[in-house]
Amino acid sequence: MVVDLLQNTLDGLMLGAAYALLALGFTLIFGVLRRANLAYGPAIMIGAYAATWVHLQFHAGFLVIALVTIAAAMAAGAYVEQLCFAPHARRSRGAGDAGAVAAMVGSFALWMQLEEAATLWLPKHLYSFPPLYDGPPIVLGPVTVRVEYLAMLACAVLAYLGLRQLLTRTRFGLAVRAVVDQADAARLAGINVPRIFMLVFAVASALGGLAGYLIVATHGQVTPMLGMWSTLKGMIAMMLGGLGSLPGAVVGGLALGLIESHSQWLFGPQYRDLIAYLILFALLAVQPSGLWAMLRRSPAPAAP
Amino acid sequence: MDEYALGVLTNVGLLSFLALSAYLLLVAGEMSFGQQAFFGVGAYAAGIGTAMWGLPLPVAVLFAMALGAAAAWLVGWPTLRLHGLYFAMATLAAAEMFRILFELVHYQRAIDGDLVGPDGTQGFRGIRWVLEQGIEQETFLAAVWALLLIVLAAFAVVERTRLGATLRMVGEDPELAAVFGVNVARVKLGVAAAAGALAALGGALYAHHNTYVEPRNFDIMLGVHSLAYALIGGLGTALGPLLGVALDIGLLESTRVFQGYRMIVFGGLVALLLIVRPRGLLDEVAVSRVAAALRRRPTA
Repeated sequence: MVVDLLQNTLDGLMLGAAYALLALGFTLIFGVLRRANLAYGPAIMIGAYAATWVHLQFHAGFLVIALVTIAAAMAAGAYVEQLCFAPHARRSRGAGDAGAVAAMVGSFALWMQLEEAATLWLPKHLYSFPPLYDGPPIVLGPVTVRVEYLAMLACAVLAYLGLRQLLTRTRFGLAVRAVVDQADAARLAGINVPRIFMLVFAVASALGGLAGYLIVATHGQVTPMLGMWSTLKGMIAMMLGGLGSLPGAVVGGLALGLIESHSQWLFGPQYRDLIAYLILFALLAVQPSGLWAMLRRSPAPAAP
Repeated sequence: MDEYALGVLTNVGLLSFLALSAYLLLVAGEMSFGQQAFFGVGAYAAGIGTAMWGLPLPVAVLFAMALGAAAAWLVGWPTLRLHGLYFAMATLAAAEMFRILFELVHYQRAIDGDLVGPDGTQGFRGIRWVLEQGIEQETFLAAVWALLLIVLAAFAVVERTRLGATLRMVGEDPELAAVFGVNVARVKLGVAAAAGALAALGGALYAHHNTYVEPRNFDIMLGVHSLAYALIGGLGTALGPLLGVALDIGLLESTRVFQGYRMIVFGGLVALLLIVRPRGLLDEVAVSRVAAALRRRPTA
């Protein structure tokens, strides 16, 4: 019983690391652009499909496969940004924000497009994907840990620390924070706001590509469900942790992983999703600013 | 009329109810990812009503609409103070909960030797009221469009009243509306319930057109599609959502020219269209221009 609890907690944290990686890219885009990118997962899917194609054609090594995933996800991300976000960036950001709805629906339209393009390219329902690591899992007394999951956790931590460094310790990060605070003032100060948006999108897409590679390599297979799965899990983790917050994305991802692994073990897979959605709904109703704000015990700000 | 055209026209009509449901919330300033849940509630409730309880369809539809409004009210009440992506995600979470509940419902009854009723992931078979009553497909199609016309007429009436102006004001600037003495929370809750009833009406008819529904029918794809239909059609008039549905189902799906590439064409078109017209083809500006042109030529 205690061993099961421990094993489930470990599994949940490892699963949560994947969600955290997905949520980091998502929250970066939302935090800077104040827009949700529904095509985030499908762009990751394009990355995974491109990597699968390279794998089928050339049997390349894992480093090449990983780089192809990231590069293709970034290319797809740039396409989404140019078509759905750059044109709407200058529109009003206040209440009744037409730009936000248009950008989100536009990114949904491109979601459909990218998904169909990927399945036309590689039409089978399932492709095997080269695993990251073939060996046995690590046995720690009564519990086991898969090596891929440890890599995922390490990447999530590194991605979070790297992003924090980037945003707080570089001129680029300073520019990003200036744009977040006051886009108009930032433009007057000579910051090229559209370029910042483009670069933020590129960083987020690269993170998404990395997350996608690790997830697909861990599962050892690619299916057309990847796009929707990534968007949904990334958004849920982001909302759980707190919209637009980097530590929130990590906390939300880990929390979602823990919720899923424990409720699956206790009640089965159907109830796993039901409970995850129930907790998300309850949290949004009670504390929309998310778990991270709750952990810091700051007074709950009203939802924007 | 040939079978295929009948099916297309009926589907355009049925999905229009869902798109109008999303439109109503968009006009009031909220974006829902969850209207498919009330479409599903309507489908299940009306199906249970006719196939299991032996109710006539009109009564079952009214029951479904009441249940849809109640469900939407239940979801709306705790999420009222949310806005934007927060509200969208809360409605998404609620809708997915409904979908999973449909998967968990096993409520069957033997009727004429057949087990009828929702059977979890196996879906709900045998919603055959329309067939059993000997109603022609053309008649059903006419009934769907007649109901749609009534709904459109109701929208047109509301747009001309104080209530319509209040709705648009709440959507444009809730703070300003509150300053003018509008109870924003109550208006939004009313809108949510009405949108729920509208979606349930569409779902009830959908179940009786298809005779079979399953939980998968009511996933997030359906909800976001209806949102997209409302937005590309335009937020200026209730005809907008119909135009959105007609563009996708009527033009792209049915002409079969783009078979296999439909989403690539449709997705690209929608993204480009929204750059030029972020509030859709028939947006407020277009509608008021048309109205002004009509006023200048009263004979037209």
